[in-house]
Amino acid sequence: MSNIIKTLDVTERLDNLKQVCDLDEGRIAGEIFYSQSIYEQELEKIFARCWLFVAHESQLVKTGDYITTTMGEDEVIVVRQKDGSIKVFLNACPHRGNKVCFSESGTTRGFICNYHGWSFDTAGNLVGQHESGIYEASEFDKSKWGLREVAKVDTYKGLVFATFDPESPSLQEYLGPMTWYLDALFDNQEGGTEFVGGCIRSTYECNWKIAAENFVGDILHAGWTHDSAARAMLGGAVAKVSDFEESYSVNWNGHGYEFALDTVGNVAVLGESKLNRYIHTIKPSVAERLGDFRSNMIASVSSCTIFPNFSFLPGQNTVRVWQPRGPNKIELFTWVVVNKSAPDDIKEMWRKGAMMTFSPTGVFEMDDGENWEYCTKTAKGRVTAKQDLYVGLGMDTFMEDTHLPGNVYQGQLNEANSRAFYQYWYDLLSAHTWSEVPNRNKGKVEAE
Amino acid sequence: MFTQSAALESVSQDVFFEVAAFLNKEARLLDEERFEEWLGLIHEDIHYWMPGIENRRRENPLKQGFYDKDHMAYFDDSLRDLQRRVARFRQPSAWAENPATRNVHQVNNLEAFIAQEPNTYEVYSTFTSIRSRGLDEEYVIYGRRYDTLIRTESGLKLLKRLILIPNATLSCKNINTFL
Amino acid sequence: MEKVYLCKFSELAENQVKKIENKAHGDIAVYNLGGQVYATADLCTHATASLADGDIEDDMIVCPVHWGQFHIPTGKAQGFPCEIDLRTYPVEIDDDAIYALVEVDANMIAKG
Repeated sequence: MSNIIKTLDVTERLDNLKQVCDLDEGRIAGEIFYSQSIYEQELEKIFARCWLFVAHESQLVKTGDYITTTMGEDEVIVVRQKDGSIKVFLNACPHRGNKVCFSESGTTRGFICNYHGWSFDTAGNLVGQHESGIYEASEFDKSKWGLREVAKVDTYKGLVFATFDPESPSLQEYLGPMTWYLDALFDNQEGGTEFVGGCIRSTYECNWKIAAENFVGDILHAGWTHDSAARAMLGGAVAKVSDFEESYSVNWNGHGYEFALDTVGNVAVLGESKLNRYIHTIKPSVAERLGDFRSNMIASVSSCTIFPNFSFLPGQNTVRVWQPRGPNKIELFTWVVVNKSAPDDIKEMWRKGAMMTFSPTGVFEMDDGENWEYCTKTAKGRVTAKQDLYVGLGMDTFMEDTHLPGNVYQGQLNEANSRAFYQYWYDLLSAHTWSEVPNRNKGKVEAE
Repeated sequence: MFTQSAALESVSQDVFFEVAAFLNKEARLLDEERFEEWLGLIHEDIHYWMPGIENRRRENPLKQGFYDKDHMAYFDDSLRDLQRRVARFRQPSAWAENPATRNVHQVNNLEAFIAQEPNTYEVYSTFTSIRSRGLDEEYVIYGRRYDTLIRTESGLKLLKRLILIPNATLSCKNINTFL
Repeated sequence: MEKVYLCKFSELAENQVKKIENKAHGDIAVYNLGGQVYATADLCTHATASLADGDIEDDMIVCPVHWGQFHIPTGKAQGFPCEIDLRTYPVEIDDDAIYALVEVDANMIAKG
């Protein structure tokens, strides 16, 4: 265990957090999207502590299958072990720090550093070096210089998460009742889900939070921002969300899921009637598996972010991580998720449908990008950055009396999830240890 | 990596000139936002494909090296898909198109061959797409194209296009144009 | 010529390689390639590595450290970074016992 990474010393918290973020008042300030000092605190107190999405198990089928990604700005390798488990290592050689794996995915016996030929097996052990005799003469202890392994790795229904922080709560505790909702997309059929091959990456000049918050609970933007895309794909406007009889915003530990119960609202925008039919075809079996309530969610008007930066849209089946690259830049990694049991032509339609709607060429995403970039860029102005931004919709919509798990709020046109997201962000930036993070959850842990 | 399937014969000078004129016109129609006329250059059986580029080791290639037909793509379009993209550009609510994106498409390194199918040409080129938005945004995408043009009763049409960029991460937020 | 006992044939599964420690001549790797038994030096000729920890691919042994390869029947170095061939030993199977026939090198004796 000597190759476990060193954890960070906790730096003092910023003293101006209350000024940039007061969720009881329903306000934030643009500064949180542009400040370098806030960003540095985020890398330490959020990305080096929270559970972060790193892979889907379907990307790591055989021993030696790996992908590379980042946790915050830290480069990591995610690799399937001989015993079937998954390990995550810093993608940096413990000798001079060079990257040891330069490819994004593949199958390998291990990783050899290009600099001095240090060689690691898939379990991260240092197994040798070029000119190994020199090290032996120096009584070098190979066992102490393996790849640095992250503190914890765990999975939920095919989703692989990792954390750098040994003190973090378990993944189960971290996700809490959100797993009940995750099942609507990730466990609605026997066999679960898989990722389509490949990963599309693009670069936005925006802060990671504005994108994550958009998916945590901002369906409000869709009717206006995405009008052009809906007309192009459907020949009509986006469904009027305020007309839905029943919809919810649910959050927990800063994660948020907002959803209607219209079953097919999201998948419909892909403009492929066969996909709508597929959803209707599987719905009875989903109802048996997950109950009627969640069978109405499988491709409904909905979106989710797992704090801090893992998001997805049920129905469009786009899955994404907003990788932070500075206060005003992200790299967006996107994948497409499908049910393993779905027919091949259905999987293929999702591959293309996600591309047509939510990708750098997607007709929906096209109009998001500019909004997020300018939400970020306006905060470059010293005066603008200090002004309050309104995030106060639905202040009194908490539902005391509901069978649903989590902190449940009435209606998805509601900024409750956005407030919960920024509140958790604030709480983490304010806390020196996990035990200092206040428990603001007031809903049920389990469904009744 | 795309490689030519057979040793193909070059087209005549006249056809080469015609092909060059076709590609130059296509680029200009896009720059001038004449999308409906641009669609008029597209064959109804078009496969307009721009695969995602994956950064893989040489010993772990995908089916086509660093891309794969079953993997995620930027474009993998039929005529219906291209028409839908054009339909978005034409909406008054296409917020990210107003003020307009200003485009320059350049086409270079042109080669044209007589293809094996009758009345078709294999046409290879490189391109540069320069876009500017707002006061100071500039995005440059460059790459290589492998086209199949077909001669129809109404002139040359684009039947297939494979677009390969060198980037595994797109350096900008979107591709709000055709390449 | 010295006859060095390696292991029992019945304990060497097909496409398996085993390391047999030998202080006098250096450790020996013994292989079962589809029923045919071979023996080579176990130490990689490039850097410190036990070839018996490597994978057999067809008739090659892949070094577990830098993934260079040696042809098992001939010991020929075949893949970067290995350039020096591996010493090979003829084998003899007597009932169930595998022996390597190790030629005692006069130079090595001289060096002591």
